[in-house]
Amino acid sequence: MVIGSRRARPDGATVAATATAVLMALALGMIFFYVPTDVDQGYSQRIFYFHVPIALTTYTLFLWSALNAARYLWRRDPSLDLKSYVPMHLGVIFGSLTLATGSLWARISWGTWWFWGDTQLTTFLIIFLFNCAYFMLRFSVEPGERRATYSAVYALLGVGLIPLSVIGVRFAQRNELIHPITFNSNGANMDGSMFLTFLVALAAMLSLAVTMYLVELRGKRIDDRIRAIRRLAEART
Amino acid sequence: MIDETAVKYVAAVYGLVWVVTLAYIAILNAKLGRLERQLDEIAGLLERGAGDA
Repeated sequence: MVIGSRRARPDGATVAATATAVLMALALGMIFFYVPTDVDQGYSQRIFYFHVPIALTTYTLFLWSALNAARYLWRRDPSLDLKSYVPMHLGVIFGSLTLATGSLWARISWGTWWFWGDTQLTTFLIIFLFNCAYFMLRFSVEPGERRATYSAVYALLGVGLIPLSVIGVRFAQRNELIHPITFNSNGANMDGSMFLTFLVALAAMLSLAVTMYLVELRGKRIDDRIRAIRRLAEART
Repeated sequence: MIDETAVKYVAAVYGLVWVVTLAYIAILNAKLGRLERQLDEIAGLLERGAGDA
């Protein structure tokens, strides 16, 4: 037997990290050297190419968490509880970034760090805080099936707020409009080069989230295995 | 003519994203260090068990 004669196939996280590096470099190149400066907002509009993809990635992570939560409730497989927890954790990280980058953009565009009258900002904050509370619930219950069930139900309730937020924003458009609406029923409100740059930035951000998800999930699995091995080792000695 | 204030805010946004990403990697690295220490402890337990037997 010849050991090491065949090169090991790269795992999912390595593929995702490589894709992230390529897409992120491409996105940054396009944002700063390709896309034209917006006529209305000027140079600060470049914040859009990171802020909006981060916000959409946040929603995607919350949706992914809820999907795995539903699968957990259906199949009662403990690995699905972990697959629901990890995207929720990442969703909160990306949600914090959405709020921080949005606040910086608001300061330069509207002259204020936050505007309570804007429905989109307020509903995003509510969704974010609701999902932050997931961790308080999860870590107040002993590990096991009960904790996994409570967490799964909470994750599903949280994702139910996202369509409400979208509907609320659409209704609010008639009354007040400070937050720019980039996408409506007619499609994207931007020219082709801007939309292409946005799509590349979105792909880069989603790819970054996938990489973080796979790496964190692997870490949690290794942690669980080490705990199990430790219990066995302690029982033997 | 590019507005200097706008450039500062754009730099702050992109810099913040990179800082958070790097902080996340640093936290993961700390967790890996903890797992490594746990593996060392388990190896110690098993070695002591083998010595007693």
